[in-house]
Amino acid sequence: MPDIIAGLALLLVISGIAAIYHQSWTVHATVAVIALALAIYASATGAMLKGRIKGSSTDVFWLHRRIGVSLGAFVLGSIIYGIWIRLQHADPILSSVHGRLGLIILIGMVLQIVPSLVKKDRAGYRGLHMVLGYLLPAILVIDSAWGLHIGVMSETKYLVLAHSISGGLAALAFVWIILETMYPTEMGLGRARIASFAASLLVIAGCWIAGGYNYLTDYGSNVKPAILAGGYPWAHQILMEAKEHVFIFLPIIALSLSLTIYYLDDDRFAGDRRYRRAIAEIACMALLLVLLMFLMGAIVSKAGNTGLEA
Amino acid sequence: MREPATFLASAAFTIFTTGCTIIAHELSADLRGLLVAVTGHHWLSVSALAAALFVTSSLLLAGSESIRRTLKAEDIALWSRVLMAVTMFMTLGCLMVYTIHYISG
Repeated sequence: MPDIIAGLALLLVISGIAAIYHQSWTVHATVAVIALALAIYASATGAMLKGRIKGSSTDVFWLHRRIGVSLGAFVLGSIIYGIWIRLQHADPILSSVHGRLGLIILIGMVLQIVPSLVKKDRAGYRGLHMVLGYLLPAILVIDSAWGLHIGVMSETKYLVLAHSISGGLAALAFVWIILETMYPTEMGLGRARIASFAASLLVIAGCWIAGGYNYLTDYGSNVKPAILAGGYPWAHQILMEAKEHVFIFLPIIALSLSLTIYYLDDDRFAGDRRYRRAIAEIACMALLLVLLMFLMGAIVSKAGNTGLEA
Repeated sequence: MREPATFLASAAFTIFTTGCTIIAHELSADLRGLLVAVTGHHWLSVSALAAALFVTSSLLLAGSESIRRTLKAEDIALWSRVLMAVTMFMTLGCLMVYTIHYISG
């Protein structure tokens, strides 16, 4: 009961913020990003409960439940916020993919939280709870990237969108690797390998090739001249120039991480802390680079959009 | 069996060389012209260079025990830190070069 009251109080606070800052999509995005962080934390504590990763806390169930309720409040708050913004512009609420994904997330959250709080015997429902628990962070990443794309750019460029979504999912894969190395179990190395292959594939195909193709075919001829002629030429001259070059480091780091994990054996992964620490450090650095690229890309897109509108 | 840490050493070497090339091609019009001449776009050339360097250095380290021993390429703690330091240094270096370029007009 105290968890539900805390969740409702949190929802009230978010709704209050939405009422005050109802014009700002960035606050809606901030609430969604907090929800994403909580979803990852909830998945990690769920994995600890099942013994997939080793837990360090003594009362993981209590933590998992409390995070779940807070996550529900943030998801619902973010959706209320999104609906509010759509109503301000007199737009149909479910006309966009972003809105429809939001609805799917909301249904998923209800299916996660309500039976967990109401049902006493949860044995038959655990399978669905686990699948939804791992799916929700991935859908939240896709929906957040989609929302950021809508917020920053007035039109939908699917190649840029695919580039951003790949980056978001790669970031999630790096978080997965960090968790597997922080809380190692017998099956942890195998899962870390899968996560590292996914990260490499997303970074190389989704970010490097798709982003590079867009940069070579569209950005240089359409967006770059608009940014240089607009009020924020530094967005290209400093940020985009640095981004396009620093980005090249990321596929190399992702590949080296994948190969390092691939050639690692169970004994060294489980028994030698130095190996796990090194992998976690490299995954953290890759994650930071992805987030830096995300931030730079958002600023460049905004500057490009402002320049094109002028 | 391949030593896992050798790939981190290859990545550190690749990022260092690629980073130096990026900074140098901003400072030298001749190098930039050469990179454009190779593939038609400087970014494509730098990307291809990075990929080729990583593959070559990985194969070289995997194939030669003496190079691995000389570079202590099996020390994962050492090479993870070197890779982090090189990446951070080169990222900041690139940002600094473009900022100076912008300020100096």
